[in-house]
Amino acid sequence: MRADDMKIRVDLELCVGHGRCYMMAPDIFDEDDRGHCRLRLEDIPPELEEQARLGEANCPEGAIEIAEDRR
Amino acid sequence: MSTDNPDPITGEVNIFTPDFAACPQPTYRKLVDQCPVARAAFTNGPVISRYEDVVWALRHPEIFSSEMEMQIALGTQRPMIPQQIDPPLQTKFRKILDPQFSRRRMLTIEPELRRHANALIDGFIDAGECEFNSAFAIPLPCTAFLALMGLPLEELDLFLELKDGIIRPQTKTNDPDEPGRVRAENGRRIYEYFEHAIDERTADPRDDMLSYLVGAEIDGRKITRNDILDICFLMLLGGLDTVTSTLGCNIAFLAENPEHRRRIVEDEASLPNAIEELLRWETPVMGVPRVVKQDVTLHGFEIKEGETVMLMLGAANVDDKTFVHGDRVDFERERNRHLAFGAGPHRCLGSHLARLELVAAMEEWHRRIPDYAIKAGETPRYSPGIREVQYLPITWNAG
Repeated sequence: MRADDMKIRVDLELCVGHGRCYMMAPDIFDEDDRGHCRLRLEDIPPELEEQARLGEANCPEGAIEIAEDRR
Repeated sequence: MSTDNPDPITGEVNIFTPDFAACPQPTYRKLVDQCPVARAAFTNGPVISRYEDVVWALRHPEIFSSEMEMQIALGTQRPMIPQQIDPPLQTKFRKILDPQFSRRRMLTIEPELRRHANALIDGFIDAGECEFNSAFAIPLPCTAFLALMGLPLEELDLFLELKDGIIRPQTKTNDPDEPGRVRAENGRRIYEYFEHAIDERTADPRDDMLSYLVGAEIDGRKITRNDILDICFLMLLGGLDTVTSTLGCNIAFLAENPEHRRRIVEDEASLPNAIEELLRWETPVMGVPRVVKQDVTLHGFEIKEGETVMLMLGAANVDDKTFVHGDRVDFERERNRHLAFGAGPHRCLGSHLARLELVAAMEEWHRRIPDYAIKAGETPRYSPGIREVQYLPITWNAG
């Protein structure tokens, strides 16, 4: 992990298990027993940034947040 | 499509006609742009259409309740669980039901689904034509339901009959007063059938959904027999018509839009995204009702406590504020937060099953029948409410 990696956060209070994230970005998101979102990793390496954006863009609950605080 | 729906002066919108169901998108766009809170013709209930409003309402069950008297009319004797109950009890039921409907769990019946899809196609492929709804879209989800519940496949015809007696009682009788009686009678038969199935599994548990429900607990106490019946009723009604409707809407769209069809035939990997886009565009469950628990003012319109509002999922799904060019079908769409399965605590319990059925069915279909069209001179017929394409004659080159 590097300091300038993209960071991702999921608000599990908002997640209701649509499952769009782990279908579109399976390297970043996983499902728990209920089919709700479980993060595989919080620091996103550059090669997975595209997946992270897809996950964020397709959550109907808006539960996924991306932070890119690059210096 | 008539140009005066919604009525520009009264703001009244007619959402219960076959014409509207056949092509709702232009009206949706007008609702979103000009009439964010309209009034439904006949019922006078408020119709909410913008994406952000619909999502907000779906996420606030304490204001927009699912517990409504009028819904206890589909031949049911009690509310269906968990659809017609509110949190916090609804949340407890979802905790025991969600794992049974997770995507991982659904994948276990996928091979069986594909087998059934192909068996159905075997039955008509050589004819070069079929009425898609009765030949494919109706039986396939029913076999999925039976497989999931652990019920014998021989019950297919019985279940189709029971379901139709509830959802379309008018098809069983010509007497206008009869539908209510037909519904109630079918409702009793459904309860009876599941009573018997529950008895069997209580005596002799198996590895199936019904046995799981028989043993399921909330707060350390077994759920009641009525709870199980009310869950089964919902699975029967919710699991069959919705996927039937989605399959019909999708095939009708692809028959009429060959450039889109070619895209998924040439690149099978694009199918899941294409299905999400079709779910957005077609939104077979056009809207969901809620009862308002307190006065609400939205865009200057007053909604009174006790009113039944319609949250128009279909309209929200073409709102340009959320979807770039919401009026275009784009299988490459990257941002697609569609609400075809609702949102918030009542997010469709069967959404993972539905998606799996859609992908399996459409993949198998297009492998074997990649090129097809609406039969010359014919027009598909849509039902309002849930957009089932009740008449969808299609043809292809056999051989």
